[in-house]
Amino acid sequence: MFQYEKKLQYPVNIKNPNPKYAQIIISQYGGPDGELGASLRYLSQRFSMPYAELKGLLTDIGTEELGHLEMIGAIVYQLTRNLSMEEIKRSGYDTYFVDHTTGVYPLAASGMPFTATYLQSKGDVITDLHENLAAEQKARTTYDNILRLVDDPDVREPIKFLREREIVHYQRFGEGLRLATDKLNEKNFYAFNPSFDKHCNKRK
Amino acid sequence: MMIREREKCLKSLSAAQFMVWELHLYLDTHPNDTNAMLRLKKYAAQYQALLADFEAKFGPLTPHSGSGVAWLKNPWPWDIEECAK
Repeated sequence: MFQYEKKLQYPVNIKNPNPKYAQIIISQYGGPDGELGASLRYLSQRFSMPYAELKGLLTDIGTEELGHLEMIGAIVYQLTRNLSMEEIKRSGYDTYFVDHTTGVYPLAASGMPFTATYLQSKGDVITDLHENLAAEQKARTTYDNILRLVDDPDVREPIKFLREREIVHYQRFGEGLRLATDKLNEKNFYAFNPSFDKHCNKRK
Repeated sequence: MMIREREKCLKSLSAAQFMVWELHLYLDTHPNDTNAMLRLKKYAAQYQALLADFEAKFGPLTPHSGSGVAWLKNPWPWDIEECAK
């Protein structure tokens, strides 16, 4: 089960609203490499994981990603406070405003709404862990691009924190992949699906 | 000032919580590292003390520690401090 804790993982306190930044950063809410996709990916994949270390890892990282989704939501919300109609028109935020006003909705910076096609749950340990390693790097690149586009330190600090977390998760998934292959018959790492084919584990 | 005091307490609480979480993730892939486990326990004790202090001063952070008016009290985590009164 999940229960709420009434705090952010890392503080978000943005003094100056900026709808242009909000329109960029919302990609990490509902975009192709965003936090919604990340949490759904890990929390779905964990059910077919055969090893306890990987069940734990996917549960924990998937849960942390939900906290990151909340941080991105808070950033977008604070960036779109108290806007005048003039600012909305001038910044290009009008195309978002017409459908969602200043509500937070999961979509990419391009305007494409969130879709489950952004993630995969393949039911294969090796395949899923490679998907996750790639996903962490794609999210890291997106945060790097946000940092190229955003100057305000109030926005950059939480974005830098989130970028660092992608790197830590990549490290942990790499260790998870090593733990998985250590349990397999090393002649056949990629010939079997360890979640489905029971005979590919290393002989004791 | 109450807002600044709350922010300060929340920051030390989050720092201890982060250490616990980081070690917890590390232990998922290094479950037998007793040294890391000891460090986690140290930060977990710190966190528990800071949490009790924070909740006594500013109200519940989880549904276990409060309901109704106390739970609903602003600020919520996405509120900016200036308009959170």
